[in-house]
Amino acid sequence: MLSVQRIAQKSAGRRLRESSLRLASWKRGLATPADPYDVVVIGGGPGGYVAALKAAQLGLRTACVEKRGSLGGTCLNVGCIPSKAMLNNSHIYHQTQHDLKRRGIDVSGVSLNLPVMLQAKDTAVTSLTKGIEFLFKQNKVDYIKGAASFASPTKITVDLLEGGKSEVEAKNFIIATGSEVAPFPGGAIEIDEKQIVSSTGALDLQEVPKKLVVIGGGIIGLEMGSVWSRLGSEVTVVEFLGAIGGFGIDDEVSKNFQRFLTKQGLKFKLNTKVISADKRDGKLYVKTESAKGGKEEELEADVLLVAVGRRPYVNGLNVEAAGVELDNKGRIIIDDQFNTTAKNIKCIGDVTFGPMLAHKAEEEGIAAIEYIKTGHGHVNYHAIPSVVYTHPEVAWVGKTEQELKAAGVQYNVGKFNFSANSRAKTNFETEGFVKIIAEKETDKILGVHIIGPNAGEMISEGVLAIEYGASAEDVARTCHAHPTLSEAFKEACMAAYSKPIHQ
Amino acid sequence: MHPSLRVLSSRPHQPLIKFLGKRIYPSTLSKPHPHPQAPPEVVNRFSDFVAKSQATEAPHAHPQAPAEVKSNFPAKKHGPTGTTSMSEFWLAPERLWKQDIEEAEIEAITSGGATLH
Repeated sequence: MLSVQRIAQKSAGRRLRESSLRLASWKRGLATPADPYDVVVIGGGPGGYVAALKAAQLGLRTACVEKRGSLGGTCLNVGCIPSKAMLNNSHIYHQTQHDLKRRGIDVSGVSLNLPVMLQAKDTAVTSLTKGIEFLFKQNKVDYIKGAASFASPTKITVDLLEGGKSEVEAKNFIIATGSEVAPFPGGAIEIDEKQIVSSTGALDLQEVPKKLVVIGGGIIGLEMGSVWSRLGSEVTVVEFLGAIGGFGIDDEVSKNFQRFLTKQGLKFKLNTKVISADKRDGKLYVKTESAKGGKEEELEADVLLVAVGRRPYVNGLNVEAAGVELDNKGRIIIDDQFNTTAKNIKCIGDVTFGPMLAHKAEEEGIAAIEYIKTGHGHVNYHAIPSVVYTHPEVAWVGKTEQELKAAGVQYNVGKFNFSANSRAKTNFETEGFVKIIAEKETDKILGVHIIGPNAGEMISEGVLAIEYGASAEDVARTCHAHPTLSEAFKEACMAAYSKPIHQ
Repeated sequence: MHPSLRVLSSRPHQPLIKFLGKRIYPSTLSKPHPHPQAPPEVVNRFSDFVAKSQATEAPHAHPQAPAEVKSNFPAKKHGPTGTTSMSEFWLAPERLWKQDIEEAEIEAITSGGATLH
C-alpha cells in the first residue's frame, strides 16, 4: 500500500514538473546569458556612487563599476576626505602649540607623531569607503570591481580586479569616471609622488619637509600648504596669477586671505611662472620667473607640490566605441539632461562641464537618474558653493563683485566683520567677514562671500538663499540663534539693505 | 514720540521667496538644451550634438522598455505589415523575455531529459 502511494506521489510530482517546464518554455522568448541592468554607473566616486544609490532607491536594477578597489573616488580616497583629516589634525597640533596658552591651558611636551596622524587619516578614509559598500548592499546595488570599457552603446567589458573579464549590458549607462591630477604644463616637471608630489603624494609624506614649494595658489595648493606649514615646513606658494584662491573667489576676500595666510608664515610669489625643477644632492631647485617675463629666481625645496589643477579622466573607457564625443579639453560633451552624443549614455561630474567639485557631481548624479526615471531633473549651477578648508576657512557661492561689474549689474554690498560678532569674540577667532551682494533693484541675493571661522558650514545658508531666490531682507528678518557665528550672516544681510545692529 | 508716524513710514516686508507648493512632474518630457556650463563653441554647435545623438539611435527598438525605464531607442516599424523588431531582447515587451530557469529544467537539460521520466 505504502509503495503504491509513493509511486502515485512520484508520478504526480513528475507531471507537475513537466507542466511547469512546458509553461516555462512557452513563456521564454529570446535567450541571453543575463538580463541587462536598468542602470550601470561607471565610476564609484561621489557622483557615481550617489547616482547608483539613487537609481536603486527609485527601483532601478543598478550596478556600479569601480576599478580603484575601494569606493568614494578621488574625494574619499585621495582628495577631500584625507585632506580634511590632515587639515583638522594639523590645526589642533598648531593650536595646541601656539594658541592654548592665552586660553588658560598650559601644555608641555607637545610633539608631532606623523605616522599616527597619517594613520588617523587612513582610518577616516577606510571607514567612509566601507560605509559606501554597506550602503550598496543595503540598497541592493551590485558592486563590480574592475575597469570598464565600452564594447557598444549598450554593453561594457569589465576587466575584473580579481582576474578575468565580464560583459555587462545595461539600458542606461552613466559615465562618472572623474578626473586625475593634471601634469605640469609642458612636461618640464615630472611627478614622482616622493619628492615631486601631486595632492595624492602630499597627503602621504612620511616626514615633514623642511622646505616645501607649492606650484599653484588654488584650493588644493593652499590647503596642503597650510597642513605642512602647521606641521613645521617653510612653505612658499608660487602662483602664475596675481591673486590666490582660484577661480570664483572675490577679489576682496582673496586679498584678505593672502594676508591671513602670510601672517601664519606662508610665503607667496604671485605673478610668477615656474620654469623647471632640478634635483641636486637630494634637494630640489625650482626655477621661476616673473609671469610678465624677466626676473628669474631659484627656490630651494625638499619637496615640490604640483597643484596646477585636474583634468577629465576617460582612460581605457573606449568611449569611441559607444559614440561618445569629447571636447578639445578632453571633457565629455553633454546637454542639460546629461545626455552624451550616445543616447542611452549619460555623463556627470569632473569628466564633463562645470566645476570639479564632489558636491556638484552628487547633484548631477541624482538629477541624471531622475531624468532616466521621470524625464525631469534639477541642478542649479548658480548655487554651487566652493570652500577652502584653511584656517580661517573661505567659502563662496554665486556672483562676485568683479563679475557683476563686468555684467553691468547694479548691486548693494553688505559686510559684517567677525570682530563685531559675539561668538567669534568669545572664541578668539575674529579674523574675516561675511559679505552679501544683493541686486540693487530687488534686494535679491546674488553672491555670498565668507572668510572666517566656520565659513564652510555657514555658506549653506547663502546657498539656500540663492536657491530660494531670497532677498537680503528675507534672511535678515529670519531669527538667528545668539550667540552664534551665523549672526554675522544675518547682520551682513541687514547691512545689504539697511544697517547692521552691532557694527 | 510719534509712533503713528513710525508705523506709517515702515513698509510691510514682502518676502522674495516664493513657495511652489506640491511638486508635480509635467506631463511632457523636458526638451534637451545646451548644458549651462558648456563652453560657447559647444553651445553654438548644439544642433550638431542633437544630430549626432539622433544618429546613434538603434535601428531596431521598442518604444517602451520594461520596468518603467525609459528607452532612448524609439520603435521602428519595418515592412508592409509594420512588424516591430528589436536589436536587444530587453527592448521587447516583458512577456517575451527569458524567464528564470527552474532547477527542474536545469536537471532536465543536464540529464538529457531523463528526469522527466
